[in-house]
Amino acid sequence: MRSLISAELLKLRSTRSAWIPLTAALAIAVIAVVANTSMAGHGANTHLSPAALPGLLRASGGQIVDGAVLLAWIVLSAGEFRHRTSVTTFLGEPRRLRIAAAKLVSAALTGVAVGLLAEALSAATSAAALSAHHVPLNWSQPGVLSAMVAVPLLAALFGVLGAGLGLLLRNTAAALGLALMWAFVVEGIIPAVTRAPGMVRWLPEAAANAVLHGASPAATTLSAGVALAVLAGYAALLAGAGAALTARREIGTATG
Amino acid sequence: MTTIAVEALTKRYGTVTAVDDLTFELAPGRITGFLGPNGAGKSTTMRLLLGLARPTSGRATINGCPYAELRDPLRHVGALIDPNVFHPGRSGRTALRIAARPARIPDQRVEEVLHLVGLGSAAHRRAGGYSQGMRQRLALAAALLGDPETLVLDEPANGLDPEGVHWLRGLLRRLAAEGRTVFVSSHLLAELAQTVDDVVIINQGRLVAADSMADLLEHTNASSLEDFFLGATSPDARPTHPTSTRSRSLS
Repeated sequence: MRSLISAELLKLRSTRSAWIPLTAALAIAVIAVVANTSMAGHGANTHLSPAALPGLLRASGGQIVDGAVLLAWIVLSAGEFRHRTSVTTFLGEPRRLRIAAAKLVSAALTGVAVGLLAEALSAATSAAALSAHHVPLNWSQPGVLSAMVAVPLLAALFGVLGAGLGLLLRNTAAALGLALMWAFVVEGIIPAVTRAPGMVRWLPEAAANAVLHGASPAATTLSAGVALAVLAGYAALLAGAGAALTARREIGTATG
Repeated sequence: MTTIAVEALTKRYGTVTAVDDLTFELAPGRITGFLGPNGAGKSTTMRLLLGLARPTSGRATINGCPYAELRDPLRHVGALIDPNVFHPGRSGRTALRIAARPARIPDQRVEEVLHLVGLGSAAHRRAGGYSQGMRQRLALAAALLGDPETLVLDEPANGLDPEGVHWLRGLLRRLAAEGRTVFVSSHLLAELAQTVDDVVIINQGRLVAADSMADLLEHTNASSLEDFFLGATSPDARPTHPTSTRSRSLS
């Protein structure tokens, strides 16, 4: 399995359309801290204080990192079929569930690595920015550790979601389109269409927000633990469906 | 000893029968040409043999095992199914390194096969910029990565220039002389006639002939492989019965 994961990670490193979004997400993690600390105290923005640190860590490593890891693994797993590299992959390891597992594990590892790197960059930039504004740093305050843990964990789950979706659809454009439609349209209109506003908290993006920011005081979101379990359930569902179809489908045809 | 065995292999796609009750065996140390008109079922047979598609019935084995049950298959079987199976943004070298990883084949072997197929100086270039012939050579390099005892090559001469075809003929001869089984499909009958020891001919998914080149021509009074092929696969040819006068086993 280690050699298969090594091959998957080499594919990631050698695919520009996969690693460029990840690099961009890391750059944005730094830029977000700089922008937030620069605008503090201006207009309606509150002044910088020691309590700003957890918010800076969450804001810089949250949705952008999740989206980048999701995109990268959609490109990598669906791209196997688009570019027909699946033929070489499955000739090298014909036990297809092992290949699917290697992709899912590699996607999770990518998420953890990029999430940790984003948080490290964000923490270093936050430390520099807060010190520059003479704001004392308090790393042991509530919210700092949870942000440091939540960001890599969420990114890992979004990596699995991306790899699973790519294996399931085998079409990069369709998988990217579905992911974008879901994030920007579907999750927004489901409560209106179903006339069940409470339903939204059970959907992936809302669950991810609940993990990152914790339960809202008005209890309109799930608790972080439940939300994490819900998101893990979505990831397991997509990963399982993608792996099962990969094991059954024919390889080397016009579409695969 | 048989390395490739195809037993009553059948593959249907809906109402279309791509491979129909096909049976033959190949022996090591020989080059076997796999012939048939377009749509005869050659590529489907090779994909079934390599575990990329599932048979409707029957089985295809390599060294007694279905491909999917081989451990480290790259070290036993080298396959060229399609030259267009490389990511256009990756270099030839990286594409082979990725292919080599599952079998833990060292990077040194990647360099060896790149030089063997004449791509040493182009290895750093993106595969998307390769000519058809270069992609074919890269696919052949991928097939040779594990130094396998069995080679399954679908139209390996496609896109190669005359020098490339000559080089390929020498390479296949050398590999067979080392005791390997070489199973190669092609439409280039004249070229194949110079290269192969045995032939398996199919038409509409069914076996037409499986014999050594010499015996096939002798027993059928055909003047050439092309002469026999055209007669055996024409619409007027009598279907279904293997024309071979020998056993369908080439071992």
